Amino acid sequence: MQWMTVFSKELLEDWRSYKWIWVPLVFILLCIMDPLSSYYLPQILEAVGGLPDGTVIEMPETLPEEALMMSLAQLSMIGVMIIAAITMGVIAGERKSGVAELVLVKPIPYLTYITAKWAAKLLLIFSSYLLGMLASWYYVNLLFGEISFLKFMGVFFFYFIWLAFVTTLSVFYNTTVKVPGLVISYTLLTLIVMSVLYKIFAHIMPWFPNSISTHLMRFVMENNIPGELWGAAGITAVLSVILLVLSNYVFKTKEMAD
Amino acid sequence: MAVIKVQGLKKKFKGAEIIKGLDFQLETGRCVALLGPNGAGKTTTLRILSGLLKPTDGTVLFEGREKNRDIRHFIGYLPQYPVFHSWMSGKEFLVYVGMLAHLPKKEAGERAEKLLKKVDIYEAGNRKIASYSGGMRQRLGIAQAMIHQPQLLLLDEPVSALDPIGRREVLTLMEELKEQTTILFSTHILGDAEEICDDLLLLHKGKIVEKGAIEELRNKNQSAKFELKFSSNSLTYFERIKSMDIVQDCLMVKSEIHVQVKDIEKARQQILAASIKNNWPLVKFELSRTSLEDLFMKVVKN
Repeated sequence: MQWMTVFSKELLEDWRSYKWIWVPLVFILLCIMDPLSSYYLPQILEAVGGLPDGTVIEMPETLPEEALMMSLAQLSMIGVMIIAAITMGVIAGERKSGVAELVLVKPIPYLTYITAKWAAKLLLIFSSYLLGMLASWYYVNLLFGEISFLKFMGVFFFYFIWLAFVTTLSVFYNTTVKVPGLVISYTLLTLIVMSVLYKIFAHIMPWFPNSISTHLMRFVMENNIPGELWGAAGITAVLSVILLVLSNYVFKTKEMAD
Repeated sequence: MAVIKVQGLKKKFKGAEIIKGLDFQLETGRCVALLGPNGAGKTTTLRILSGLLKPTDGTVLFEGREKNRDIRHFIGYLPQYPVFHSWMSGKEFLVYVGMLAHLPKKEAGERAEKLLKKVDIYEAGNRKIASYSGGMRQRLGIAQAMIHQPQLLLLDEPVSALDPIGRREVLTLMEELKEQTTILFSTHILGDAEEICDDLLLLHKGKIVEKGAIEELRNKNQSAKFELKFSSNSLTYFERIKSMDIVQDCLMVKSEIHVQVKDIEKARQQILAASIKNNWPLVKFELSRTSLEDLFMKVVKN
């Protein structure tokens, strides 16, 4: 009841600030950009000109699986940044402006407040990501060759766990500081540190959250879900839950005003 | 019965003690002013009572609350600078906070309409809060604090930031709310406190330096002083009055004689008797009431 109140208020706010328009559009753009541009690269080069006559451009054949993974590569950089940007003020912004002082003196459990906001942002991200990937899937099928629905669903599902983790991480930092700028810095810094750690210790950490995209590559190529993918996805999901519980704890011990 | 009992309340911020041990209780149905100069700890005190801050030491007890029930059910709170979701309309915001306070949607809507009428911004109810003036925001702030019919209304400087008209409106509104709930409001303006409160808590440097019913405090701090004026030259009577044994000190202030006395009752009888006997042309005989201002200044300067 209270949960739905905060959840629907959050959706309404994102609707009125046009997030429900531009975030899906940006995700669609991100997802179709690389598959399209790599397919049309020869034509683009020809149109731009500047190559001496008789140049033969030989492009390695792009597999449909590789094309679909191009979309994920874009999401893992710019997509993650957009997620961090749209979630950086979800709680910190209300605390900074002072609205939280009005809202949190109402008898609402902090966990309700946090999870409802988290879920509302996650729904926005899920929908945008779904539209983006569907668009990518459509073009890949059209231009590069067929990818089965099941394979698409597998890629979509496992990678979403990673995006959900990024969202949860940002929500967690929202409860620790009340400056949105700091929240996004902490989120991105953590992701960078995690990525460096994974690069160094990949061989001993096959279940590290960052490994999801590596395992996904194997999944699309080999057609069966490697055990490590389940493991990494499971660990990432558990970490997200821990972060949410931790957020509630941090929020409870925090004083809501200075 | 007391709504709330506060014992030994202390609050430290980074080592500095802002609140140095408060003891007081608020009686049901009273309107209490928390008066003090800037930096006395008024806002901190209200924030602790509202649950936004945790006390370093001491207890806040809500009488008559069901066990383990969230204290926020009983409290309505208006911060000093209320901020709203400015993309919402006034009515939307009231319904939102009403539902957060466990009202069903329909009831929240009805309460919101009622309160919008009560605080006199009904016409603006469907407009975006972004377009509200300062006075309208303050009134919306009071409405949101009242939405769940709290037993205790905490208002932090409800009128300080308003122009004279807005201030008058909010004071009138508080006068009405007094009938329905217990109010604790902070202010640094004595006139506002004197005007509507029943009880006074005088806060200075994190301590309560004076508390009680406002009339009581007035009487307690009543100085024994009469102001006399005569239709003819007052100086003629100055020596005669000064020589009375009940008079401590006598002063000419413009054309009035200010008489400091030992005992108000006896002095009144003596002076009036002398005046009748000698047929003095008395035009003014007044017991000077030191306003609370004197008390305020006295306490704050010590």
